[in-house]
Amino acid sequence: MAMGTGRQHFQEELRGLELQALGGIDLVVATLDRTLEALEQQDIELASIVVHDDDRIDGRYLEVQQGILSLLALQAPVASDLRVVAALLHVIKHVERMGDQCVNIAKMLPVVGYEPPKDEAMLEYIFRMGRLARSEVAQAKQAFLLRDVAVAEDLVRQDHEINRLNRCVFSRAVEIGTDADRREWAMSMMLVSRAIERIGDNAVDIGEQVAFVVTGEFREFSDASRVP
Amino acid sequence: MSAEPREDAVRAPQPVRSPQPGAIAGSRAERSAREVISEGRSVEVRDLKAFYGDALAVKGISLRYAANQVTAMIGPSGCGKSTVVRCINRMHEEIPGARAEGTVMLDDADVYGSDVDVVSVRRQIGMVFQKPNPFPTMSIFDNVAAGLRLSGRKGDVKERVEQSLRGAGLWDEVKDRLAQPGIGLSGGQQQRLCIARTIAVEPEVIIMDEPASALDPISTLKIEELVAELKLRYTIIIVTHNMQQAARVADNTAFMLDGELVEFDDTNTIFTNPSDSRTEDYVTGKFG
Repeated sequence: MAMGTGRQHFQEELRGLELQALGGIDLVVATLDRTLEALEQQDIELASIVVHDDDRIDGRYLEVQQGILSLLALQAPVASDLRVVAALLHVIKHVERMGDQCVNIAKMLPVVGYEPPKDEAMLEYIFRMGRLARSEVAQAKQAFLLRDVAVAEDLVRQDHEINRLNRCVFSRAVEIGTDADRREWAMSMMLVSRAIERIGDNAVDIGEQVAFVVTGEFREFSDASRVP
Repeated sequence: MSAEPREDAVRAPQPVRSPQPGAIAGSRAERSAREVISEGRSVEVRDLKAFYGDALAVKGISLRYAANQVTAMIGPSGCGKSTVVRCINRMHEEIPGARAEGTVMLDDADVYGSDVDVVSVRRQIGMVFQKPNPFPTMSIFDNVAAGLRLSGRKGDVKERVEQSLRGAGLWDEVKDRLAQPGIGLSGGQQQRLCIARTIAVEPEVIIMDEPASALDPISTLKIEELVAELKLRYTIIIVTHNMQQAARVADNTAFMLDGELVEFDDTNTIFTNPSDSRTEDYVTGKFG
């Protein structure tokens, strides 16, 4: 049996594709930073940059998707290689979705205006959610790079906290009072909160792909239909 | 899906391995909605050792080829996969100095039993080789009829020849030139002619040793499609270097390395989530 270098060219191509897709997660982290800063500073200009810059994430999605199609067509990957390719297709889709959620948040800022009737407690919940979501997204990338199922599963713990804070935002919005402007602001913040919560879910989904790559078995880390 | 490590393949004798039934939902066997036309027979190999002189080429392997299924044997050159299948129909012993030990069962009949007629074994377990080998001086018709005559079959030879050529997917291409020499056909047609010759004597099992490796892609595709048809009547064992071919045609796949059976499982499992790292390395092209 000849122990050669095997399919070195293919392995390099696959590795390149993985780095390209996981680089998409870095783009999301940077975008999320800007989005949260825009939210904190009421910086509508920065929010507009977030909206326009989403083209870069969409472009990355298309590049990776095209790369995956070529690899499937030309190299016919199997076994763990095939699982990585299939997982990357999911990862890049989640990257694209997370980018869209940042756009959703950024688009809310001009709606609430420069001097919104803020509720500090509600904002505090949202900023904490934002920090947690950022940490989750970065951790999802690490889990994938390291093929570390434990790191991936830990995302669920953080995501529970985001979900809890999301419910706090909701409760606060319900009790915001009778003033129409304040109610409108609270409703908008509810949508922001929801978008951040979805980003957390996408990070967990990436974690599930890590477990699939490693074990060959797909399972949901938490069942959304049963978690309260 | 099982991620459990298999027992080491080196130890002998080992339990006879079968792929786990329904290991993956929607496996190829389940997906095949077409019904079996006639029951093939299963082949079971137990602790098979094969020697070339003093050299041990197959180191005591055990596995079961399920009836009416396609089982692929894959592995690098020299791993013993061809030797295993040649032991099944007792071709191996034809090589000077070669011998086999262990048990080969065709359903409950011992292929190596003392009262067994070797010719009858080879009729029941037909073989198709890498290089198409029609009888060079015979016509297309006689190539198919030869097997019938050799095995002393009675009945309507003409009808049987037509049936066999139809079964091999060759009838429409040759029906108007049955008297022409078999070697005048293209390589792919010659290979299907050999398949017709093999099925003419109504075997239970068909062994194919690299049946498409000398053929162009279209002819290869025809052979692969034919395999899917043939398994409705026969049990098929296919030795192949082409892993994609194994993935396309086989229900189950056995991976051999250095005379040992490393892994035997549902083809889907072998190509998506093999249990043994050596299988993983081979199918992903990390060696071989």
